Amino acid sequence: MKLKVYADRLSQPVRAVIIFCEVNGIDYEEIKVDLANREHLTPEFAEINPMQQLPAIVHGSFKLFESHAILIYLASSFPGVADHWYPADVYKRRKIHSVLDWHHSNLRRGPITIVQNSILAPVFRRPLNPEAVAEGEKILSAALSKTESFWLDDNRPFLLGQNQPSIADLILVCDIMQVKLVGETDWNRLLGPYKKVQQWIENTRNATNPHFDELHKVLKELKEKLQN
Amino acid sequence: MSQPCRAVIIFCKVNGIDYEEIKVHISKGQHLTPEFAEINPMKQLPAIADGRFKLFESHAILIYLACAFPGVADHWYPADVFKRSKIHSVLDWHHSNLRRGAAPYVFNTTIAPILGRPLNPQVAAEAEIILSSSLSKLESFWLKGNGRFLLGGNQPSIADLSLVCELMQLEVLDEKDRTRLLGPHKKVQQWIENTRNATSPHFDEVHRVIMLAKERQQHQRLKAAKNEGGSNMKRPLVSRM
Repeated sequence: MKLKVYADRLSQPVRAVIIFCEVNGIDYEEIKVDLANREHLTPEFAEINPMQQLPAIVHGSFKLFESHAILIYLASSFPGVADHWYPADVYKRRKIHSVLDWHHSNLRRGPITIVQNSILAPVFRRPLNPEAVAEGEKILSAALSKTESFWLDDNRPFLLGQNQPSIADLILVCDIMQVKLVGETDWNRLLGPYKKVQQWIENTRNATNPHFDELHKVLKELKEKLQN
Repeated sequence: MSQPCRAVIIFCKVNGIDYEEIKVHISKGQHLTPEFAEINPMKQLPAIADGRFKLFESHAILIYLACAFPGVADHWYPADVFKRSKIHSVLDWHHSNLRRGAAPYVFNTTIAPILGRPLNPQVAAEAEIILSSSLSKLESFWLKGNGRFLLGGNQPSIADLSLVCELMQLEVLDEKDRTRLLGPHKKVQQWIENTRNATSPHFDEVHRVIMLAKERQQHQRLKAAKNEGGSNMKRPLVSRM
């Protein structure tokens, strides 16, 4: 029974799930659900995920949504997934849960608020909202600051003082990458103060390439399309 | 007074986990001290310390306790990967939905003045939309079927404890608002009762602080109404708890 991943690569958590599958050689079928055409709001997709969000997976008769839950399921269920992605050790694992939970209420809100109220506003049929963008930038900066000072150890390449990436690195980095949509100038302004964060993004990219670059091509393509 | 703190403490009590409760008064700003930042640099509750190891974020804490302490029954956090995945799914959904609605709604209609902050009706209105939608999704999806608990379960999991403790915060609301929000959702009301019964007597004991806060709020509302010449106002209904 082949894994089905319901996806639109514009979505940050979708990219994290697909990169994970590619890096770990998990055989899957990607089923496009076009967010811009509101396909996630159809009754057909509601059968897959009643919350009408991406990503969602179907594995045989088992359906699952929420990207953190999906990544944990994939790491736990597919043979050959290296332990560093979601360690069996309960002490290491609890820290991954801690940063993934923190992410929901902190880092995730920043990039989404920025892009959905600026460059992606027309795509989602919303008005531009500079005040909301400013609010999103504050949230992002606060979260990047905490990532720089707490979640990233001075001497280790990944979150939580680890030498190899976990699902938490993939999820958080894919979320931050969404900010690329607003352009290099703003990206440099927002990320500039955080040297460890920048290095960590590069580390995660290198650890999961060529899939990381492949999945993030969609951001460059969309930016060019919206500018023209 | 913190919803996720109550979930962690009830879990410890129900499962006979030996612990020491160290009070950190949010109303006195103790969570913002440098001493507490050593425990949790995010300056939030709950946080735990076990020897040299520290942990914060209540879902991470509940999962850790369920895995690390012997004698915790499987239904709290099942070993089966399919059941466990569904629990992760609802706990994740909770962050961005129920909690995102309930916490700011209660804060901006009722609790803020206790912490010396102003009420914010606009934030409350936006939060109410998220809360109502979340309650509908609980009623129609997460409580689907004949189980007594979330995800069709007949025994509670850490997800039931986390989400029900969040909903108990609604007890401090004006009774008419609480009835308006919860009234349409019969399965949700029954599920709260099921969770309470399954974790008795600890649930009521840990929620005493909320019920005291509820009484104080009701008293203040009555006083305010009388001062405005509202002596004909009906007494609000008292919750079953």
